[in-house]
Amino acid sequence: MDIALRALFLYAFVVFVMRVLGRRELSSLSAVDLVLLIVLGDAIQQGLTQDDYSVTGAVIAVATIGAVQVASSYISFRSKRARKVIEGEPIIVIQDGGLLETNLKRERLTADDLAEEMRMQQIASFDEVAWGILESNGQISFVKK
Amino acid sequence: MSQIPDTIVLKRDRDLAGRENEIWVRRGLFALLCLVPVLALLNLFGQHPGTSNAAGAAARLEVYAPARVRSGLLFEARFHIVAVRDLKRATLVLAPGWLEGMTVNTIEPSPTSETSVNGNLSLSLGHIPRGQSYLLFMQFQVNPINVGHRQQTVQLYDGNRKVLELHHTITVFP
Repeated sequence: MDIALRALFLYAFVVFVMRVLGRRELSSLSAVDLVLLIVLGDAIQQGLTQDDYSVTGAVIAVATIGAVQVASSYISFRSKRARKVIEGEPIIVIQDGGLLETNLKRERLTADDLAEEMRMQQIASFDEVAWGILESNGQISFVKK
Repeated sequence: MSQIPDTIVLKRDRDLAGRENEIWVRRGLFALLCLVPVLALLNLFGQHPGTSNAAGAAARLEVYAPARVRSGLLFEARFHIVAVRDLKRATLVLAPGWLEGMTVNTIEPSPTSETSVNGNLSLSLGHIPRGQSYLLFMQFQVNPINVGHRQQTVQLYDGNRKVLELHHTITVFP
């Protein structure tokens, strides 16, 4: 029973931490972000199963996290308000080639971050972009003019 | 202005109308997150040991052990007895809280005998001459599912006569 409770608590805690840290950490894999994800996973594992090396323990942990994951996605699907809380909402960061500084600052994004993302999507200049949107999953989507 | 992508609402997603407080909520929650390591540094979650003392006419007892631990951790409890008078048959009696959900890895030096007295663990230490001290080390490991608050009273006897009693508690975090 304790593994299920621990899995439940740790799942909620990790979701909380990821939401608090901000959406950029969800998708970017810079050196620092990679370290965060690796350390998170390792730290969670210790607290989740502790000295339980059994298959049963692993099955309980995975089943609990899977069930909570489906439950939270169902809640997000059913309730718009819950979706906003669990997943967040998109934020426009570029409009008609112009950077929206307030929104960038709010998400700790720089023009360099945007330019890098644009280059990865074969966009060379801000002038080519009609809309740049930081999506709730942390990725930035660009709509060309 | 270019055509607005579907489902994007400019007021909400660009001007952030109705979302002004979001950032403060996030900052507040982040501050809460930062509070956790600060509280950990202040020993709120263990396991920095502390000293508890008790003194009687015949002896003094000092227990050096953590009051807060976390499940799975190894820790030490040190019992320092100073005999003010001759203790012919010194016996340390530990409340069940010392053993409930704990693994006792070692007791050094080994007591001459161990027994249960009214549910407590009784460790016979033998003779402690007047003016001398006796140091007993116990090494524990908290069992993973052990969680909660326990009384860890320690009593020192000389034969059947109680010399002193010391109250100690331990909180085990999950």
